[in-house]
Amino acid sequence: MTVFLRLLILSISLSFFYFFYLYINEDKYYPGASFQTSNMPLFELEDLYSNKVITNFDIEEAYLINVWASWCITCRVEHGFLMKLSSQGIPIMGLNYKDDRNDAINWINKFGDPYKQIIHDIKGELALDMGVTGAPETFLVKDSQIIAHYRGEVNDMIWGDVFTPIINKENIFNAN
Amino acid sequence: MFIEVAQFLTILATGLFFLCFVFSVIFNVNDLNIINLISRIYSHSFLLFLFSFLIYVWLAITDNFSVLYIAQHSNTNLPVFYKISSIWSAHEGSMYLWIIFLSLWGAIYNIFSKNDEPLKARTIGIISITTVGFLLFLLLTSNPFETILPLPPENGADINPVLQDPLLAIHPPTLYLGYVGFVIAFGQALAFLIEGDSNINWEKQVRFWSIISWSFLTLGITLGSWWAYYELGWGGYWFWDPVENVALMPWLAATALIHSLSASSKSSILRIWTILLSILVFSLSLFGAFIVRSGIIDSVHSFANDPERGLYLLAFIGLLVMMSLILFSYRFALLVSNKRIISLSKESFISINNILFGTLIFSTMLGVMYPLIYEYIYDQKISVGAPFYNAIFVPITLLACLFLFSSIESKWQSKSVIAFFNNPTLASFIFSLLITFISFKLYSVSKLWTLASLFIGSLIIFRYILVIYSYIFHKKFVNVYSVLAHIGLGLLIISIALNNDFSSERALNIKINETEIYKDHEITFDNLQLIDGPNYESVRADFIIESQNGNKFSLNPEKRKYFARGQITTETAIHASILKDIYITIGDQLDDGSWIVNVQFNYFIRWIWFSAALMIISGLFLARTIKRARQ
Repeated sequence: MTVFLRLLILSISLSFFYFFYLYINEDKYYPGASFQTSNMPLFELEDLYSNKVITNFDIEEAYLINVWASWCITCRVEHGFLMKLSSQGIPIMGLNYKDDRNDAINWINKFGDPYKQIIHDIKGELALDMGVTGAPETFLVKDSQIIAHYRGEVNDMIWGDVFTPIINKENIFNAN
Repeated sequence: MFIEVAQFLTILATGLFFLCFVFSVIFNVNDLNIINLISRIYSHSFLLFLFSFLIYVWLAITDNFSVLYIAQHSNTNLPVFYKISSIWSAHEGSMYLWIIFLSLWGAIYNIFSKNDEPLKARTIGIISITTVGFLLFLLLTSNPFETILPLPPENGADINPVLQDPLLAIHPPTLYLGYVGFVIAFGQALAFLIEGDSNINWEKQVRFWSIISWSFLTLGITLGSWWAYYELGWGGYWFWDPVENVALMPWLAATALIHSLSASSKSSILRIWTILLSILVFSLSLFGAFIVRSGIIDSVHSFANDPERGLYLLAFIGLLVMMSLILFSYRFALLVSNKRIISLSKESFISINNILFGTLIFSTMLGVMYPLIYEYIYDQKISVGAPFYNAIFVPITLLACLFLFSSIESKWQSKSVIAFFNNPTLASFIFSLLITFISFKLYSVSKLWTLASLFIGSLIIFRYILVIYSYIFHKKFVNVYSVLAHIGLGLLIISIALNNDFSSERALNIKINETEIYKDHEITFDNLQLIDGPNYESVRADFIIESQNGNKFSLNPEKRKYFARGQITTETAIHASILKDIYITIGDQLDDGSWIVNVQFNYFIRWIWFSAALMIISGLFLARTIKRARQ
């Protein structure tokens, strides 16, 4: 009886931890990542540097959209990695989110510009349509479809585990 | 510069804590010189670690934004109080504080227990290795000392606005103090198992620390519940949110533990329970840390995260818990008492209630785990809500209360059948029946469970009042604080039942200058103003509420938008009175210009806080009497 009881306690707790091990090792593992496809919302917004209007038609077939702001500290941390991505030839569209135009331009001048173009979304309209909850967030868009969305800082690890598999699968950015 | 010093001190402390553990393993722990040595090393490493934290607090106060974490969570415009509390507003800093408290309990234990107490060196060794595990977690996966150099930002990103609240600033620290306080019980239980000498009586010591930790845990949970009530605008006191549940489980286990301890500090009969519960409480506290910090569950509480953290915590906690359980089953024979539990003795009621509490813990765990298992197998998200928990908690809690009631007359290690049918018991029965009948007839309380809760709650309250009576007039010895804590429990049960039965809410569509009538109250939407706050803009509504008996007052719920992150929060307006709260929140404006306004009448909600406060205060005083009795 006591042997049975002892084994029961041990095996229940062991399977408990084993379950969490399995759960954590699935790809749901990254709570910030979502792979639901949705249409890229239509927008007409000004460019950060000029009054030129950017719309859906100004952008390439496949690109990343990175939501950032000069007030966002995590964006500072993420910035170095974006510079690296852009130097590898990945097209990144900046979505400047609820930010003062001068602050944003100063920020880019200070730290460097990884973006092909920067949309100035002062009211957060496009961001709202895309389901942005804060900054930084990064979207992967292909043929006007959002195919991946990550809330939080993108770094080497996130890029490798969340974005690279879907980029290879969809065969975009001349997958390397 | 200072940040490097703080980091260095933390690393140094980690090394020294590890040394304590190693010494407690390799040396003869019954040698007084060795115990002195381990005790000294522990104190010094704690002081180093504490000093590193004080440097960190100072960096936060002086707005040192070259520290990444401080830049991400603080702001120059914040008052000093919130600059400090911003340290525990997110993952890294709150983990830092959590470990500070963990080692603090170890330090307090170290100071207050004499060096010739038999289990001291081993206990400190176990507390040390636990601390080391979490310190490595902090340094390797969640480093609060990371910097942004060479160009630190001019201002920080600001603390999350819903956290800018005095209550929320103290909710996490009190909760953490409660959680990690059980490391002493855990350490002593393991030390006892390793030592393997069944003559050592460690339960008295542990009982004292456990009751204090239990009070802090209760306080932390209550503060969180109160904050959620007025700040989040949902209008309840408990939501069966997964993270609330992972705080409830250690609380339930801790409650069972302190009762088992009172039995096993007198005789070794319930020792198996005491050991198992000591391990369980701390394991459940660690499980809570794992759930919240691995990001497995989405909740108000969850932190932004990265997967390494979950894996590290799982590995460390799994190892610690499995080792303890293996040790437990290895030493099982040591714990089996040769005395049998006599039926109808106090011990028998405590073990029945242990089983009932175990059922509650198991059911809560099931409610937390089921959605995860379901998602793992079927890839669909489901949630387990209040109906499940109510169906289990209400009957089992009431049953446990009936056993509590029966145990009042019982004695330690002896049968006492005759005493069950005496005057006080009979009087409590009649009195409670009367109360229940009156509420049924006069106040139209008709739900079966409400009546049952009312009956059982009054049973406990009245019976314990009679205990106090005989204490005062017949000088019959009783621990007054334990009695008061149980009266708090009776009150809590009644308030929860009545709150559930009487409270009501309604969503109104109302335009400015319109009046609606709800439950004999005229609610007039008088005005709407735009207000500029220091770091937000706000829409503030003025409602004038007039009750039938001529009571007139105004309520001003707000909807705020914070500049820094564009976050929108609702500020509730509450008119509190002894019996009920009138609780108003405003929602969105509709196209026809009317506003959605949610009006709630929350009955007896103040009584819930009051009952919890009674339990907390009694707990702290109870611990004091135990300390005195020991000296």
